[in-house]
Amino acid sequence: MKTYEDIAGDGGSNIIEQVEALGEKLRARLDRIKYKVALMSGKGGVGKSSLTANVAACLVDKGHSVGILDADLNGPSICHLLGVKNSHKLIIDDRGVQPGVGSHNIKLMSMDMLLSSPDSPVMWTEEADATAVWVSTMESTALRELVADTDWGDLDFLLIDMPPGSDRIDNIRSLIPELAGVVEITIPSPLSQHIVSKSITKNNKMKVPIIGLVENMAGYTCPHCEKEGPLFEGEDVENLAKQKNIPYLGKIPFDTRIGRKTDSGSLYYMDNKGSVTGKAINSVVEKILESIK
Amino acid sequence: MKFLCIPCDEKMETQVDGIMPEEKKNLVMKFKCKKCGHSIAMLTNKFETEFVSKLGVQVNTTAAEAAGTPLGVVSGALAEGKEELKKGAPTEEDIEWTEDAKERIQRVPFFVRNMAKKTVLSFAKERGITVIDGKLMDEVREKVGM
Repeated sequence: MKTYEDIAGDGGSNIIEQVEALGEKLRARLDRIKYKVALMSGKGGVGKSSLTANVAACLVDKGHSVGILDADLNGPSICHLLGVKNSHKLIIDDRGVQPGVGSHNIKLMSMDMLLSSPDSPVMWTEEADATAVWVSTMESTALRELVADTDWGDLDFLLIDMPPGSDRIDNIRSLIPELAGVVEITIPSPLSQHIVSKSITKNNKMKVPIIGLVENMAGYTCPHCEKEGPLFEGEDVENLAKQKNIPYLGKIPFDTRIGRKTDSGSLYYMDNKGSVTGKAINSVVEKILESIK
Repeated sequence: MKFLCIPCDEKMETQVDGIMPEEKKNLVMKFKCKKCGHSIAMLTNKFETEFVSKLGVQVNTTAAEAAGTPLGVVSGALAEGKEELKKGAPTEEDIEWTEDAKERIQRVPFFVRNMAKKTVLSFAKERGITVIDGKLMDEVREKVGM
């Protein structure tokens, strides 16, 4: 009787060939991007997306070409931050899906660009009676398609704005094994540090390179007089970095203007480079660059 | 996975026109021995089909087609996606789908949905049918499927 190896092909489903072809497509996209950096936190609400957008602006200011992948599938915010409206027409051709182009020519891809209206939620057709396994599977597949099917072109940096939690890094790591590293973000509160500590531990165990820890919302800067004051009571975040043996990238004071574009349509960083918060963002970016180069 | 016809010692072929996935995520695939004509059916439940879907592949699609369809899976599975996303799905301009038929085809697992659509369209086209409704889909399942 014939064995598995005696029969050519894979039974007619072409699954092996399809998986190989999809892998080649993904590789071809990623090879044109020099550095891939994920910005993450175990905790939600620590300012990941606003910081990602402003780190991107800072990199552009230094002469780099930058794209952002919004990996927060269920809570996408990068389109909003970079001014790409829901009415943006999707262009899909043989090369793939054209990314949106936001402020400062930052390219981006987000689930928000695929939805029919601004308030449409990300829902899957099978979701009504789908199992948790199915939804999780669908999200993994969606993430792969967002990375592999977007025509990013040549980029110096692809920043990945991760969702809250530490589970999605597994997907990103398998899709982008050459990930330059992750930037962990926390706010000073003990609760945030407690959760981010788990995220760091997980990444260390998985041997995901950690570029360092950023202390976001580290105090409040008055936009008028630039006087600083405390925003959250908490332990020294630098200690957490020491305990976990990862670099401390610095603290970024909270500025109420950071999450929105300025009157000129720029991201906060571009119009406020000289502010306390602007300088802090630049310092963090310099340390990221030193680390990955 | 491959299927072998033991008496003939021959690989059984996937029946392209004979595949009609069950709705609600259970998948039915038919295989036939070219030599003796014996047919078998592989039946899977939704949990088994989920494992296949994780690979991002589509049943009965070539590697070139799979890799050449941007956002192929998301476009088929996103409930409130933009119109531009739907271009990749097989359509026939002169054939209309009733709401009932549209709903039923949407219930087919996304990674075999395009294949199921092609099967129904081909069935309708061969018979000169211009409107696909639930009754026709029942007929497709009865005659082409299991």
